[in-house]
Amino acid sequence: MKMRRTSPRNVPIVIATIAAMTMLCGNSVAKEPAQGETGGEAALRAAELKRFEANVTADARVLGEVLDDGLEYVHSNGELDSKQSFIESLTSGRRDYASTVADIESVRILGAVAIIRGKARVTVIDAGSSRDLHIGYTDVWVWKDHRWQMTAWRSARLPDSPVK
Amino acid sequence: MRRLLPLIALLAAPLAAAPRGDEAAARATILQRFEAALHADVATLDRLLADDLEYCNFRGTCQTKNEYIGEVRSGVLKYLTIEPVVDRVKLYADTATVLGRVSVTAVRSGEERSVHLLYAGVLAWRDDRWQLTTWASTIIEPQAETKSK
Repeated sequence: MKMRRTSPRNVPIVIATIAAMTMLCGNSVAKEPAQGETGGEAALRAAELKRFEANVTADARVLGEVLDDGLEYVHSNGELDSKQSFIESLTSGRRDYASTVADIESVRILGAVAIIRGKARVTVIDAGSSRDLHIGYTDVWVWKDHRWQMTAWRSARLPDSPVK
Repeated sequence: MRRLLPLIALLAAPLAAAPRGDEAAARATILQRFEAALHADVATLDRLLADDLEYCNFRGTCQTKNEYIGEVRSGVLKYLTIEPVVDRVKLYADTATVLGRVSVTAVRSGEERSVHLLYAGVLAWRDDRWQLTTWASTIIEPQAETKSK
């Protein structure tokens, strides 16, 4: 490829090209949070416990804040919810979490992404009767709009789960 | 032109923050790791799995890199077929999240089982390559399969 010196009249084109590339780049790749901005492990643990509590109280406002718009929430039976369908299932009463007791086992932060792993005892009300689940879970959080938001949830029923 | 260099540098700064591994490479890493697992290629698995891997399977059990590779190497876990789909890749500087689904038939401790799973993986860009640092999957039970499609 032959390279040429940039002439003065091409300068605006060069600037426009770089600006366009910059905008495209900014749209496709989330930026690293500034050092100390995320609140570290303590902030993530707090966000996780707040989220579990909001599940039980069906608090759409809190869930709207702590769940990422691109959330993929896979229940322990493989049923898949988006952010919208998950919140709707709680506020409509179609899905009813009576209680959740979570044990966070590990929190790892990799820049703008964090992974929480733990176990939880969950009681759900299903057609008027309660069902107890013991699950292992992994969820993935991303740092967006100056707060942690959960973008993926995967769980599995443990061998000692009352509901298999 | 020289006077414009600071402006150009300012505009181009986010480019420098872009991840060094791209989406296509992240997808390829996930697919290569399935291929390596299928063929019990532990050398490739060793390259693609991060040393700090947390590998949580659909039974709720979490393993380290050494534990997972050890099962594949010893034949305790033997994959017969793996049909993976990568649904979504999202890049975050030197990290990528990958969501997808996979159908697996495997023999574990002599017992053969076929499962459909939804998985989430987190890749970290280290040593000039993507490495899988988190893996978690959930089994799709038959009654949930229709809702998940």
